[in-house]
Amino acid sequence: MKNILLVAAREFRQIAGMRSFWLTLLILPLCFAAGPLAQRFIDKDEPDQVMVIDRTGGGEARAVQQRFEIDRGRDVLTELSRYVQRHHLEAADPSALWAQHDRWYSDADVARFAASGGLKPAQAKIALVKQKQTPDFEASKPDYEFVPVPASLASVPDAGLDNALKPILKPAGKDAKAVDYVVLVPASFGSSPLVRLWANRQPSSSFVATLQDVLTRDLRTRFLATQGVSPAAAQSATAIAPALAISTPPPGGGARESMLVRSILPLAAAYLLMMSLMLSGSWMLQGTVEERSNKLLETVLACVSPEELMYGKLLGTAGVGIFMIAVWIGCGIFAAYATQGAIADMIRPALDPLSSPGTIMAMIYFFIVGYVTIAILFLAIGSISDSMRDAQGYLMPVMLLILLPITFLMQAVLGGNNGGMMMEVLTWVPIWTPFAVLARLGLGIPAWEVIATGIILAVFTTVEVALLGRLFRASLLAQGQRPSLAEMVSRIRSAS
Amino acid sequence: MGVLTLERVSKRFDHVLAVNDLSFTVEPGTVFGFLGGNGAGKTTSLRMVLDIIRPTSGRIDVLGRPPGRVNAPDIGFLPEERGLYRQMTALDTIAYFGRLKGMTPADARREGTDLLDRFGLAANTKSTVDKLSKGMAQKVQLATALVNRPRLLILDEPFSGLDPVNQGLLEDEIRRMSAAGSTVVFSTHVMQHAERLCDRLLLLAQGRKKFEGTLDEARAELPARLSVVAKDDPSRIAGVESAEDRGEAEKGWRRWDVRLTPGIAPGDILERCVAEHFPLRRFEQLHASLHDVFVHMVGSAEARP
Repeated sequence: MKNILLVAAREFRQIAGMRSFWLTLLILPLCFAAGPLAQRFIDKDEPDQVMVIDRTGGGEARAVQQRFEIDRGRDVLTELSRYVQRHHLEAADPSALWAQHDRWYSDADVARFAASGGLKPAQAKIALVKQKQTPDFEASKPDYEFVPVPASLASVPDAGLDNALKPILKPAGKDAKAVDYVVLVPASFGSSPLVRLWANRQPSSSFVATLQDVLTRDLRTRFLATQGVSPAAAQSATAIAPALAISTPPPGGGARESMLVRSILPLAAAYLLMMSLMLSGSWMLQGTVEERSNKLLETVLACVSPEELMYGKLLGTAGVGIFMIAVWIGCGIFAAYATQGAIADMIRPALDPLSSPGTIMAMIYFFIVGYVTIAILFLAIGSISDSMRDAQGYLMPVMLLILLPITFLMQAVLGGNNGGMMMEVLTWVPIWTPFAVLARLGLGIPAWEVIATGIILAVFTTVEVALLGRLFRASLLAQGQRPSLAEMVSRIRSAS
Repeated sequence: MGVLTLERVSKRFDHVLAVNDLSFTVEPGTVFGFLGGNGAGKTTSLRMVLDIIRPTSGRIDVLGRPPGRVNAPDIGFLPEERGLYRQMTALDTIAYFGRLKGMTPADARREGTDLLDRFGLAANTKSTVDKLSKGMAQKVQLATALVNRPRLLILDEPFSGLDPVNQGLLEDEIRRMSAAGSTVVFSTHVMQHAERLCDRLLLLAQGRKKFEGTLDEARAELPARLSVVAKDDPSRIAGVESAEDRGEAEKGWRRWDVRLTPGIAPGDILERCVAEHFPLRRFEQLHASLHDVFVHMVGSAEARP
């Protein structure tokens, strides 16, 4: 056992001494760090500038602006409600709108929120109960900002606006601020439904939809008025809308989303298993090939048995893989807690599977046994290859055999597909079992299937280690050309 | 009791009998030469002693025990094909093999440092192997074999690939180990090294033992030869198998290369020459080289200079 640990420690140190190891190890945390930064660059800094030229007297422009302000108020209220829910701050004012989470905020709610003073008084109340380390609430930036119509445009006839708006939509000066949307509500609006929109790029569909909604309501009100309906009744008729009572599983949108969130951890385990295996496995392969090509195996074998060498290598490589995963998970948790954002929202339900000891045990078992099942393939390839070029010849088909089905598997799980022939095949064929079972743990896999596949995997791995162990032993000091399949079988037999 | 004993050991690979019924014993403190041409079975025999491969039949006894890693703390081994972990430092490499041979980390590092110092590599202790010259790497490899101060040092073709400086260093180390009471077994097909170093020799050809004994006993296997200067043909003296005329030495005297009948000593011939009043001006015994013995025993096809 001491020799196994010595070989494992040397193997670990050798891999940890490689530059590629540290580069690979740091890629994931760097991505975590780069994510929020990239988000910052992707996010729009400035709201879109909107100008409404209302030739009907100003009522339409006011209605449009009011609509956008209500929508903005709803967004702020929703964000505030999420913030309060995440940090458990309902005690600040249990009767406040923002302390009630499972609901859709109506226009009336938004108006009530605005009437109560809006964000500032709410924040003041929250500040009284929130803990020091809880971050302050920051509302997202508004999407749109309304700008006044310049006096110079007031006298420009509708037909001349195309030319007159050019310098406003695309100003010449570098620092000049462009107006993103210009809406013209002509004087004839009502008798004619025509409204014109200029935009300095492809207009956003949400902007167009909101604009259309406001103007449609107005047209309908006008129409109802012409039909003899009182203006107040007409106004009320257009505002009729169902009151939506929304029930959501804590954060998410529905059952399927909830399942997907629960699948994050098992899927991540399957993915990390694959990543760490491919990386540490190929490093182990490199080490074994180096031992063969550097002719130092005989010196090693004079001190340790081939079995000790094999188990030491497996243990060392598994140590590397587990170290990588520990670092990645640590960085993930740090990122989740450091950002306190959407990732943190996801983490809580994603950790749900860990509340079941059976699931934890299944994850650990399939992870470790899966590691040995695949890693020993790399070791066997290393033992029959005199150079990395030789090894590549064996490695490519093995990699494809393992990786391709797993790619399909992950897509299937992400698509919420937890059944079908392919999923069953991947679950029951031992080389794919660890990945399939790990990936399905979140979606729900019958306990009997987990136990049965676990037993089959254990038997397969035992036989595999015995047979490939023989190949490893018989191939260590063999020289010459790459062995054929028949030669490999003969080595397995002769080493018995 | 011998340090190493092989009794009727054979090893077969498929249809090839690499070692055939080999028996010998190495006594403690001797330097034992394992001689033979390429493919004679030397490396296979040594691998069996180290339990890297198992014999097909026969019994092997190493330091009173069967072959196995349990013997590793008492054995030093330098294989014919050598290599080191390129990214490990010189000291770490030696210490690693010391640890595999059961040494404590502190002892392994201390012994490694002493060896590097003795081999003139004190400044390279922390250099990785890929930064060392070939000669330096050879010294590090030798240090990995010596780090545990082995009771039995096994060297497989130790001089092959070594530069003259390192050959001298290795010869010194073999003598040092022998003087310290260790037993050294080394295989070689370069007879000069064996002649200089070995107390006993074993000649192997096609897996079979051809000879085992001292250097003098090996030479005695060849008919003695004389270089004489005489007036007459010495072949008429009883015990002379043949005499070849090598030309005139001085006026009236000729130089003769004389081959004696097996079993006849040069002193017997000298005695007969005196008794028969056979005139002589020179009588010199020619010692057979180990190479000659080797060629005589295994044939020139397997012999190498």
